[in-house]
Amino acid sequence: MKKLILLFTLAFIMVAAPGLAQDMPAYPSDLTECEVDLTGETLTLYHFGDLSGTYAFITQPIVSALADGIAYWNGRGGVCGAELQQIYEDTGGNLEAAQSAYDRFTSEHGESLDLLLLYSSSDGELLREQLAEDEIVGLIAAGSIESLYGEDGQTPGWLFATNPLYINQFGSFCEFVAANPEAFPDPVIGHVTWPTAFGLSGTEPAADAYCTGLGVEVLDEPQTFLPTDTDILTQVQNAIDAGATIIYTNTLATGPALIASTLVDLGMEGEIALAGVNWVMDTSVGLLGQRSLGAKGLPSVNGMYGSMPFRWWTEAGEASIQFVTMQHAANQRSPVEQNIAYLVTWGMLDTVVELHIRAVNEAGSLAAVEGAGLRAAIENIDYEALGGLYRFAYPDGMRDTSENRIARMAYANADMSGPATSPADALLIDPGDGSRMFVPIIIPLTGFETVPNLRAGE
Amino acid sequence: MTNINPAGVFDTRYEQDMAIDRTPRGKMWKNLAFLALLLAPLVSVSGPLGIGLIGDQYVGLIARIAIFVIAVQGLNILVGYTGQISLGHAAFMAVGAYGSAILARELGFSFWLALPASALLTGAVGLIFGLPSLRVKGFYLAMATLAAQFIIPWALRYPLEDLTGGTRPLNVPAPMIGPFGAYASDTVSDDQPLRFQAGDPYFVDVISVRLAARDGAYPTIELINAHGSAVPAGDIGMTLIKDAAGQVVGLSYVASKAGEYRVAIIPDGSASFRAIVSRSKALSFASSIAMYYLIVPLAVLLMFLARNIIRTRTGRAFISIRDNDLAAELLGINVFAYKLRAFFLSAVYAGMAGCLLAFERNSLSLDMFQLDVSIEMLAMLIIGGAGFPLGAMFGTAFIRVLQEAFIPMIRPGLTEILPALLPFVDRVNIASAINPIVFGGVLIIFLALEPRGIAHRWETLKAAWKIRPYSY
Repeated sequence: MKKLILLFTLAFIMVAAPGLAQDMPAYPSDLTECEVDLTGETLTLYHFGDLSGTYAFITQPIVSALADGIAYWNGRGGVCGAELQQIYEDTGGNLEAAQSAYDRFTSEHGESLDLLLLYSSSDGELLREQLAEDEIVGLIAAGSIESLYGEDGQTPGWLFATNPLYINQFGSFCEFVAANPEAFPDPVIGHVTWPTAFGLSGTEPAADAYCTGLGVEVLDEPQTFLPTDTDILTQVQNAIDAGATIIYTNTLATGPALIASTLVDLGMEGEIALAGVNWVMDTSVGLLGQRSLGAKGLPSVNGMYGSMPFRWWTEAGEASIQFVTMQHAANQRSPVEQNIAYLVTWGMLDTVVELHIRAVNEAGSLAAVEGAGLRAAIENIDYEALGGLYRFAYPDGMRDTSENRIARMAYANADMSGPATSPADALLIDPGDGSRMFVPIIIPLTGFETVPNLRAGE
Repeated sequence: MTNINPAGVFDTRYEQDMAIDRTPRGKMWKNLAFLALLLAPLVSVSGPLGIGLIGDQYVGLIARIAIFVIAVQGLNILVGYTGQISLGHAAFMAVGAYGSAILARELGFSFWLALPASALLTGAVGLIFGLPSLRVKGFYLAMATLAAQFIIPWALRYPLEDLTGGTRPLNVPAPMIGPFGAYASDTVSDDQPLRFQAGDPYFVDVISVRLAARDGAYPTIELINAHGSAVPAGDIGMTLIKDAAGQVVGLSYVASKAGEYRVAIIPDGSASFRAIVSRSKALSFASSIAMYYLIVPLAVLLMFLARNIIRTRTGRAFISIRDNDLAAELLGINVFAYKLRAFFLSAVYAGMAGCLLAFERNSLSLDMFQLDVSIEMLAMLIIGGAGFPLGAMFGTAFIRVLQEAFIPMIRPGLTEILPALLPFVDRVNIASAINPIVFGGVLIIFLALEPRGIAHRWETLKAAWKIRPYSY
């Protein structure tokens, strides 16, 4: 009888499994075929960054995404048979800690450390020369000119960014402003940003000259504030007094939300547009922006512009988005983690897998893969991460991606068919504590376009 | 703390009473400790002896500790010895770091000149920010020195942006001795590029290319590195040689990376052209092991000097000001002058630490000298023991080892254990909270149990050991 039950159970699973599998979207990437069996081997992903400091809002979901991604791959037999694992370090945004983590990684895992994932421009600048010296390829979800191209802006290193340079994103935004004179009459952009490598990486003379050439004036002096500041009335007022009609910011999480709430406090939210780098277009900003409501009763960051070089969660027709959304749900991740970091990390993981398959096919074994081989693979790649999340290509010595689009932050209406126009038609959900929460959405305003190259000497 | 001699050991001369090493055994232990420090890189995994007794990361850790020991020792002179307070110590380090980097980059100073010059420059800046100590003390002086922490980074970021690069990172060349006499000289022409091998990590090749004189424009000369790309003008170690008209007529490059290099002349359409290439050797401190041997002995020397300060008239004046400045003044001590001396010395130490940090990292950014670094150094001093010569070393080593070795060591275990103990907390949040929780927890426990610092406990233990078997 037991054997019979077991037989029926097995038969049911065999019949039902394909049906159940249809609910989970297929892996969307067109990965290269494995030519080498790596069964029994381990492919380790090394990464470190700020998980408890200023960037924690963004970076914490990176660990979740990598954990989910690794579980996904290992549950399906690994990458060409090799089991995936991650080793990471929380540096708290401290450069001393970043150096220490790098030393420890290279010392303890030097043999297998050919690729390192980073997510801070400052870390990239610190480690640029060391990565070249140790021949380790870095994939960075950030990247200033100096970290990717050196002090002269002309020397491609071993770091590759998963997004366009921030200065190029700023140029891309200027193009958008110039192309929409009805929305931005007499445009004058003032930078209100953090005084860090990341914060000021959009304020280069070349970018100012480019924007001026398009008819978009840029104020000379950026107004800066610390990530820990809670009152930036002076900085915002200074920018407005200097003539700014658009405030541009290279900040994330609390930064854009603070500027937006300050504009509300000044009664200028309808007159001054707010825009920023790709990190402002994030769920964290959409949630933090709810601490202050504008004149329409919607959160203060409603209507903020920003770069969006990736597909976004709301583009549900995209296979890559369907897949990551399903993974997010299957792993019972919180709504807060449905952010840019979780999304992009799945893309980075997919790219790392593809790079390793190519490098292993070339080298003949995982042990034979070296940094130089991975660098060669990455320099020759032209790949749609997760089948379309973003394009991963670095032609002609490029170290950052080159496609971007401009998007706008909004909040979903009740039937999720578009943006809300007031609290009355907005979708309000209970996050579990009895309060009501708006649901942030990102609306692309342009298609993917090539960004201008505004590095020094270009 | 009173110096206690072991039972049966008596000082019979003034020199003995004043000696730093009271007993031969004490001297032996110090020498052995110094010897162990010097041997550490040799027995590291990538050390020349190939023994692999300690991991390479610990060599870097000791060097970083040594740099901050110098800076915190400077703070000790000001806070521990003189009783003044400074919340701008990281900014003074920034002056030393950027000062030395600018001297090396813009004026061609070697590290050996840039180090004392930047230290003196930092000392002068320290004097300026020490001026308020004439009128204010305590919390008010803390606020006055806090101004340094805002004014100096601002000045480096904006008014001096052309020199410092503002918020952009600044490359700093590695320290070097040499170059020594040329060992090879070759001719290169536009149809005959010159290839050669270079790249000993310690005795590096210094390549000098000089175009023959000509009228009119010069062709372009390029140095192609091992990866096949031209070494850019802004690369660390590259110096362009220009004539009076500003035309590039040659280059000098320190080839610290191993591999084949190629010197090529890019034809400019005019007649064929030649250049003379000379190669010489220099002792480079680019590798972490070589830099270790620069930093650690200097840190030991500066520790020794700081220890000696309190045995001098100046040191006694510092201590009297710390203990009671009114009484010190009544004793005839020029309080203001000695306070300024303390600020100067403290800043000189910070400047040297900043300079070493710049040359060790080869890259500078203002993010390295923020307010939290000043506060962290103050915490190092308090934990180590303010006013004790060894306090800076103990405090710096304690915090750095805690952050860079202990917490990373226990994190994997805690990451596994804590989610089971705290199932209501998201696993990701636990992972990110381990650093601050462990760090903060250890500090609180430590300060509650040992408020006078590790150095105080060390002196107590030493005294107990010396008078054994008696307990008092």
